[in-house]
Amino acid sequence: MIHTWAWIGWLISGLVALSITRNPVYLFLILLCIASVVWTQERHLSSESSQTQNLLPFSPFKFALVIITLSALFNAFISHFGETVLFSLPEWLPYLGGPITLEALTFGAINGLVLSGIFGAFTVLNLALPIRSLIRLIPRAYYPLAVITSIAITFIPNATRQFQHIREAQAIRGHRVHGLRGWLPLIMPLLVGGLERALGLAEAMTARGFASSEGSNQTSRTRLGMVFGLLILLGGWLLRLIEGWQFLGIGLMILGITLIAAILWSIGRSVPRTNYNREAWRFPDFLVLIGSMVVITAYLLPIPWIDQSTLYYNPYPILSLPGFDPLMGAATMGLLIPLFIIKLK
Amino acid sequence: MTKRFSTSRLLSFLTYGVTTSMGLLLLIYPFLFPAITQKSTLGQARLIEMPLLLTLLLALCLVVLLYEVQGQAVDTKLIALLGILVAINSALRFMEVAIPGPAGFSPIFFLIILTGYIFGGRFGFLLGVLTIFVSAIVTGGVGPWLPSQMFAAGWVGISAQLCRPLVNILDGDGKISEIIVLAIFGAIWGLGYGVIMNLWTWPFIAGPTDQYWQAGISWVETLQRYGAYYLITSLAWDFIRATGNFLLILLLGAPTLIALRRFKRRFTFTYRSSNSQQSKLDQTGDAS
Repeated sequence: MIHTWAWIGWLISGLVALSITRNPVYLFLILLCIASVVWTQERHLSSESSQTQNLLPFSPFKFALVIITLSALFNAFISHFGETVLFSLPEWLPYLGGPITLEALTFGAINGLVLSGIFGAFTVLNLALPIRSLIRLIPRAYYPLAVITSIAITFIPNATRQFQHIREAQAIRGHRVHGLRGWLPLIMPLLVGGLERALGLAEAMTARGFASSEGSNQTSRTRLGMVFGLLILLGGWLLRLIEGWQFLGIGLMILGITLIAAILWSIGRSVPRTNYNREAWRFPDFLVLIGSMVVITAYLLPIPWIDQSTLYYNPYPILSLPGFDPLMGAATMGLLIPLFIIKLK
Repeated sequence: MTKRFSTSRLLSFLTYGVTTSMGLLLLIYPFLFPAITQKSTLGQARLIEMPLLLTLLLALCLVVLLYEVQGQAVDTKLIALLGILVAINSALRFMEVAIPGPAGFSPIFFLIILTGYIFGGRFGFLLGVLTIFVSAIVTGGVGPWLPSQMFAAGWVGISAQLCRPLVNILDGDGKISEIIVLAIFGAIWGLGYGVIMNLWTWPFIAGPTDQYWQAGISWVETLQRYGAYYLITSLAWDFIRATGNFLLILLLGAPTLIALRRFKRRFTFTYRSSNSQQSKLDQTGDAS
């Protein structure tokens, strides 16, 4: 419904915001936006497929609750910094002994908020994008891997079904799974059957002329270029860690990434790809992208009328109230645009 | 031809070396650069951005390494074989998500190790990387942790070849000693996988900057702190994974190796077009 690249833009803006701020107020706002989109997307999908089954293996909301609680408790028991002492554990307890402070608890909870936000943002992507869109994101230069991925995804339901058949057949013969050894009569037919199918598939692919004449798309120049790009990237990253060299470091990192991307693009050009169901870029996608750009601009670029100092917050050494700029809060709402589009549809 | 082959080998070696070293460097970053980050006033900023930056850099390492490794996968037989094995392994991971085993137990490493051992390191690497990728797509597990997981699983597969010299020394081909070597290798990776995955999150979750990257803190002390963190949070979890790998390979390894060896022979035939046969006959005629 929303274009894949619009979702990618939304994800990047969410990750940028989450990685820059440690202010719990903004983090709550971001998390609220992401949770609303997750919830709306889940409801939309379940109404579309008329199914009541869970669309995800576990609830992202429960996951967030567990992560925030665990992270807060873990940091409180491991880190003993801060001035507001809640209680103390005996000093003889290794690593745990010492004062348990409100500041450490808050710091841990903030970490948990960030982690939950990252998980939530990716949950939206997993819910929103069909598998074919994710496979389509694999660059053309990696067409053998894209083919392997397509085969694997096509065969997973088959493998699961075959496993059920084998289990039923073995159960009829009186086999019961007792311990790991009991898995042998189940795993081996699955594996051998799969290998036989692979042989048949390979013959069918060869008969249809797949990879009959073309060799690898690798040349010495592209391989060397990729490694060179990675080395430039590494150099840039290392320079960035040294004060005074940050800008040169960032420049080198951008150069390295550009070189790798350019090589992949040039290789990809020689690989033909047919799209039977090309995604159309529509006005709502444009809106999602604008919302994402607003978030990235507000969090990243120095805008005079937005107080970006409120993004930084440190609960140590004593807990204080975090700052809040309404304009920054309003910009964060750019993450909510997909929700309105899904609702309107 | 020989020159081209040796250049290719050299480039392969270079790519594997650079990507693996860089991947390791990124993961053990907190141990190597405490002094640099402490001298920088941007320490806190580094801490905040580090997980996402690490994800990006690891993903790029993986992109370069995959480009190198996939050169082998232009053969239809290997593509089909990898596709099916990835499907089987992903189905096993899917079952693991649906019916969680005890603690960190995961059935996927069993097949990654054994195929890496039989079909070669590149094959094992691709099986590890693609199993994690495909199962993440299917189970909704795409996230910033994915590149680290893919890298670690790929390393499991590629390093399975390290068992070969030891098995040769023991003259253990097809014997119980081969299974024991592989089972111990699986157990080591059961713990190693957890150690690697923790390295991705540790600097992020651990706490305030001055607690972990203090000025003057030695790498030994950083290692001690990581050790304590690992002991408290992960050892029990990873121990179950290690035991699971060990037992799976010990109990199911022998028949699986027999089946994989049999199919390896069946997969190593080559198709020849009638044109090449004709040119061969022509060449024979010219020679006579």
